Amino acid sequence: MITQMQVKGLMFDPYNNAYIVILRDEDQSEMLPIWVGKSEASSISLAIENVAPPRPMTHDFMKTYLDAFNAKVISVVITDLTEHTYFAKIHLTYADSEYTVDSRPSDAIALALRTQAPIFASESVIRKQSSEELDQWLENLKPEDFGKLDS
Amino acid sequence: MEEHAPHTTDALIQLEVNRVVEDSTTDTRIVVLTRADGTSDLFMVWVGASEGESIRRALDTSTTPRPMSHDLIKSFGEHLGVRMERAVLTDVKSSTYYATVFLENKGVVRTVDSRPSDAFALALRCQAPIYVTQDVWKRRTGQNLDAWLSKLETKNIGAQEV
Repeated sequence: MITQMQVKGLMFDPYNNAYIVILRDEDQSEMLPIWVGKSEASSISLAIENVAPPRPMTHDFMKTYLDAFNAKVISVVITDLTEHTYFAKIHLTYADSEYTVDSRPSDAIALALRTQAPIFASESVIRKQSSEELDQWLENLKPEDFGKLDS
Repeated sequence: MEEHAPHTTDALIQLEVNRVVEDSTTDTRIVVLTRADGTSDLFMVWVGASEGESIRRALDTSTTPRPMSHDLIKSFGEHLGVRMERAVLTDVKSSTYYATVFLENKGVVRTVDSRPSDAFALALRCQAPIYVTQDVWKRRTGQNLDAWLSKLETKNIGAQEV
């Protein structure tokens, strides 16, 4: 079972000095936070806001590369979560054949947003993340972080 | 995309990526290229930090725990049977370089416009040669910057030790 997800936004995570891409399902009942690096976040952000940077970014080049051969991104799927690391697959069609390529979720999402391809998450990922990611989040909280909320 | 870059490599100068230098004052990276014919002149291209890291990792052939964006593009090529023939630095405007990537599939060559950083990062991963046109070579930035570059590299070494 896979669930279609929408990119709802990006957040900065000061504890990990990283960015979080927030994916939500259509019913808004499931949320999938995916930690990504700074340059991947900025690439995703430009795609969300539909801003064309003065120079194409790596994911724009990736799209042009596929376009040059008329290869199409059908969908991307967040397939697995192991020890805080997400895995994704990109499904492509090219010359009447289908291909599946392993990818980081950040690349998959950045490419999906540029090619209007749907983003899916497997059921197991959604089930696992609710416990795993919360643990990671809590582990990184320090006592002084709680104080900040009062002041 | 229609081909508009030179078809032959006769009039081109082949370059090799020599190293990636950190420019700590601007949080950019300088890709230092040398001529494949052994001439001592350098060719320098300023790139973003993450693109510079991607080039550095390709140069070190160090495997990263997770594939980077350019590894994914290489993987697309392997799946689709697309071979990268070469990268060519085709133009320079206001100190900004433009590159073209030549891709071959079933005997048909297609070209894709690219930033030099993406072209270098992919070329190194695909063992594809990098060229510059005679015109761009003549108009290169960073001429006579050898002394400045070595100073920058010395400074970076110092900074890491502190």
